[in-house]
Amino acid sequence: MDLSGAPYGSLGTLSGPSITIQELKKDRISFILTETDLSVANSLRRVMIAEVPTIAIDMVEIETNTTVLADEFIAHRLGMIPIDSTDVERIKYTRDCTCSQYCSECSVELTLHVKCTEDRTKIVTSKDLVSNNPQFQPVVEDKNDQGILIVKLRKGHELKLKCIAKKGVAKEHAKWSPVSGVAFEYDPYNKLRHTHYWIEEDAGKEWPVSGNAKLEAEPNPDAPFDYNAKPDRFYIETETVGSLKPEDVVSMGMKTLLDKLGYVQMQLKEELASHQQDQTGWSY
Amino acid sequence: MSAAQNSTSPAAMETDEVPIEVENDKLEIISGSHNDHTSMTFSLKDEDHTLGNALRYMIMKNPEVDYCGYSIPHPSEAKMNIRVQTTDRTSAIEVMDKGLQDLIDLCTVVVDAFKAEVSNGDFEYDEDAVWP
Repeated sequence: MDLSGAPYGSLGTLSGPSITIQELKKDRISFILTETDLSVANSLRRVMIAEVPTIAIDMVEIETNTTVLADEFIAHRLGMIPIDSTDVERIKYTRDCTCSQYCSECSVELTLHVKCTEDRTKIVTSKDLVSNNPQFQPVVEDKNDQGILIVKLRKGHELKLKCIAKKGVAKEHAKWSPVSGVAFEYDPYNKLRHTHYWIEEDAGKEWPVSGNAKLEAEPNPDAPFDYNAKPDRFYIETETVGSLKPEDVVSMGMKTLLDKLGYVQMQLKEELASHQQDQTGWSY
Repeated sequence: MSAAQNSTSPAAMETDEVPIEVENDKLEIISGSHNDHTSMTFSLKDEDHTLGNALRYMIMKNPEVDYCGYSIPHPSEAKMNIRVQTTDRTSAIEVMDKGLQDLIDLCTVVVDAFKAEVSNGDFEYDEDAVWP
């Protein structure tokens, strides 16, 4: 498909999708996606939230737990800890692996052993987790980051456990999501009237326009409603949990989408081939 | 789909996007009227609105297409049906294939645009700034 021209002649002035990055920080990226359809922009949003693979603790074997928290409570807390997944591509999904249960090809082992022997409260954090693979460590923000609190120990309390972290996607469990949020907006002035506001007295006062409105021309209030208009400018901002770089979340999201499409296309070709072999023709 | 057709397809291919089970019937053509290759319903396993809506849009862009719509028949069944009806100048499978290819091309353009923009570096950048 010719995206630089006007495919099918029906896209009019479309010159193909383009992206403008506005801001890139350690944990967030904001960009404007233009000249695409809402459905495509929404696919990107959905795929970033739910289908970008990361590593997260999936199994916990508790050896000793004399803390105040129950085993399953601690296991759940461990699952939510973001693990640096920059090299996630080197890890296989356990279901694709040849091993019987799990191995170093498809998992990362993290151990934790903390005992409180002093009179004051001891805190157990994500920094106490010891990974067997240096590429996959619990996320540490900076030097001042004390880690994510798992449990607090009183004198005599002990926690000893082994965690198996696996590769997964947030479609299965939200702990695998690389993002904590995706802001998605189009048409900040609501010219398309996709949003219906509840108004008490004055719409302008009760519904102030968002920051993205600065990037668009203010509409003429007397202009007639353009019922043919379609959204084509999307303001997207995503904030990561730290397991992946924000720019990688976007590109891995698009890659996931491409992989999906390629796979479906391959299956379609196979289906077609199996039909053509069938001399009776279209017979379902 | 008959068992014979299933056996002609090679062993299950594994890709990154598919959760849990090994699959061999990602795509199924739901039987409709016989010998009508202009209208078909494709049933895609483990797919949802992420693929459905974008694909529907892309297929509808094709002027040879009379109708395209998708639905997820039941929320607890990981399955998405996409219906295509075309003019008699083409076939539903061809249109589906073109739709997929067009969407791949579009996504490739987006990825390339994004990567170019990142390496271009013409934006506010702060490596250390986190959570204001």
